[in-house]
Amino acid sequence: MSDTANGAMVAVFAGSTLRLAVPLILGATGELVSERAGVLNMSVEGMMLTGAFAGAVGAIATGSPALGLLIGIVAVLPVALLQAFLSITLRANQVVTGIGINILVLGATTLAYREIFGGRSREQVPGFDKWHPPLLSDIPLFGDALFTQVWLAYLALALMVLVAWTLRNTALGLAVHSAGSEPKAVDKSGLSVTTVRYGAVLFTGVLSAIGGCFLSIGDIHTFTEGMTSGAGYLAIAAVIFGNWKVGRMFLACLLFGAATALQFQLPALGIEVPNALLIMLPYLMALLAVGGLVGRQSAPAYLTQPYVR
Amino acid sequence: MNQTALAARMHDQRPVLISLAAVVGALVIGLVLVAAIGVSIPDAVAGFAEGAWGSPYALAASINRSLVFALVGLGFVLADRANLTNVGGEGQIAVGAIAATAVCLHGGVAGLPAGMSFVLPMLAACVVGGIWGGIVGVLKVKVGTNEVISSLMLSFIGVWLLYGSVQSEALLRQPMTSSSTLPESLEIPDPTKLPLLTGDAGMPLHIGLPIALVLAVLVAVVLHRTVFGLRLRAVGLNALAARKAGIAIAPSVIGVFFAAGALGGLAGSMMLQGEQYSLKAGFSSGYGFDGLVVGLLARGSVVGVLAGAVLFGFIRSGGINMEMVANVPSCLVLVIQGIIIVALAGSARWMTRKAGAR
Repeated sequence: MSDTANGAMVAVFAGSTLRLAVPLILGATGELVSERAGVLNMSVEGMMLTGAFAGAVGAIATGSPALGLLIGIVAVLPVALLQAFLSITLRANQVVTGIGINILVLGATTLAYREIFGGRSREQVPGFDKWHPPLLSDIPLFGDALFTQVWLAYLALALMVLVAWTLRNTALGLAVHSAGSEPKAVDKSGLSVTTVRYGAVLFTGVLSAIGGCFLSIGDIHTFTEGMTSGAGYLAIAAVIFGNWKVGRMFLACLLFGAATALQFQLPALGIEVPNALLIMLPYLMALLAVGGLVGRQSAPAYLTQPYVR
Repeated sequence: MNQTALAARMHDQRPVLISLAAVVGALVIGLVLVAAIGVSIPDAVAGFAEGAWGSPYALAASINRSLVFALVGLGFVLADRANLTNVGGEGQIAVGAIAATAVCLHGGVAGLPAGMSFVLPMLAACVVGGIWGGIVGVLKVKVGTNEVISSLMLSFIGVWLLYGSVQSEALLRQPMTSSSTLPESLEIPDPTKLPLLTGDAGMPLHIGLPIALVLAVLVAVVLHRTVFGLRLRAVGLNALAARKAGIAIAPSVIGVFFAAGALGGLAGSMMLQGEQYSLKAGFSSGYGFDGLVVGLLARGSVVGVLAGAVLFGFIRSGGINMEMVANVPSCLVLVIQGIIIVALAGSARWMTRKAGAR
């Protein structure tokens, strides 16, 4: 194989790694905020699926992917509110409410999709086109393959940077961090732990919904039953592997994206690696990370702990 | 009976009443949805009942399914006593099933005397499941890892291990005779299958039922009548105080996770040896998570685990049949299940407050 062909292949691989990582980046960035505020939000999966479904249906109904995205974001709010109400106000077990919501959303979206479109149809969704960023996509060899992405991918990166900056430099970031590590102090300072946590969960919902929309109206332009297929859990794994810090979380998302991309690329190269191993890798990495084998882990002290005044 | 006694009695029954209300409410919503999608309600209900308990075969299948939920639920309740949350049931089922399959298919096991051919795989499943669960305990004790996170990750890893093990002939995949050979294990030999209680294939209740019931009693005894149960409770209430009182925390935590994992592994072997007879991708389809929910909703009560397990077993079986005969998408069952979980998790507060006031 010539160098150019090799280069092109690497570029395609890098491009699909980024593309596959985008939903994870969105979900994980949202989840990171939730977890830093003390809520282990297991319903990211359901929130992403809600976004993917409502976004697709909205785009079909209005004929506009932008309106679809908006509808996807609005539709996730009740789901996020339910998660917040159960886990914060009612102080229910966060893991179980998350699993319950995921099951509920999987059932409801599947049922609704079949009712609206019948059978197992794969209705084409009016989706976003890819964007050729000027300059970047003109870089020879890899520019086009790597940087030509749906604009939501750039939004995802921008949102992630914004969240990192906010958490580090602002009073809001401090409030979020304290709600998860020292909620009593937040309370004493006059802020409400409940409000901070509600906000964090709603924020997770919005980002997850955008991530879901990226799947349905950004990437493959259709909706399929349960199409998130574990992306939400991967996002949680990324947050854990990332030690609740944005930089390492981003790295984890890219790694997980690369592992998924490899599943498609390796067979094309004639290399046989068990699929299961590649799919398992992200979870194994996250386990090793929490097991203390990849540096010291520091989970928010009050993660999964409801706050009682 | 005077009024206060009656009121107190009603108060005592509150968890049961709330649970019933949640289940009935979810079923009503399910019926409304059935009507909304244009299926006649009597048809749907008939289909559900037929699949859940309509024939000896259906009843046995539902109960066999319940056993899995019950075992995982018992494991959850055990760990819960020490205020530890075991989310690892799905992975423990998977590794248990892998171990059981490997032992069942191992030459010579089928020829063992005195029932050892079906007991040995179950024991292997218990041990491997126990180790899988024990990892969670070790991590908790040695590194302080949040057990929810580690057991969840181990669940996913276990599921994909199972998937991988039936993809490769070097592991458990059946020999490829043609390109259409499915990625699943060989069927396990007859002697390794669980014996039926009635000896009648029309009522395939297997020996797992008495085993699960004995284990349920055992778990209840351990929780309420043994030093180990008391230690777990002490660790759960206040780990620091327990340590000061001279209770060795590490063995309790590792031990309880081993036990929970062993129960999960056993559940996996029962699914294999009592129902499916071969290992394939999608072997469990979330049974471990259902079992976790059953355990949680039981609020520490072994009887509650059994009741919840039967309920979920019926709902699963009925839902599958409803799709086949009444054309109601089985995803409706997911909606109903989701509502029950969310409602019960949300109302847990009112049930526990009662317990706290006691």
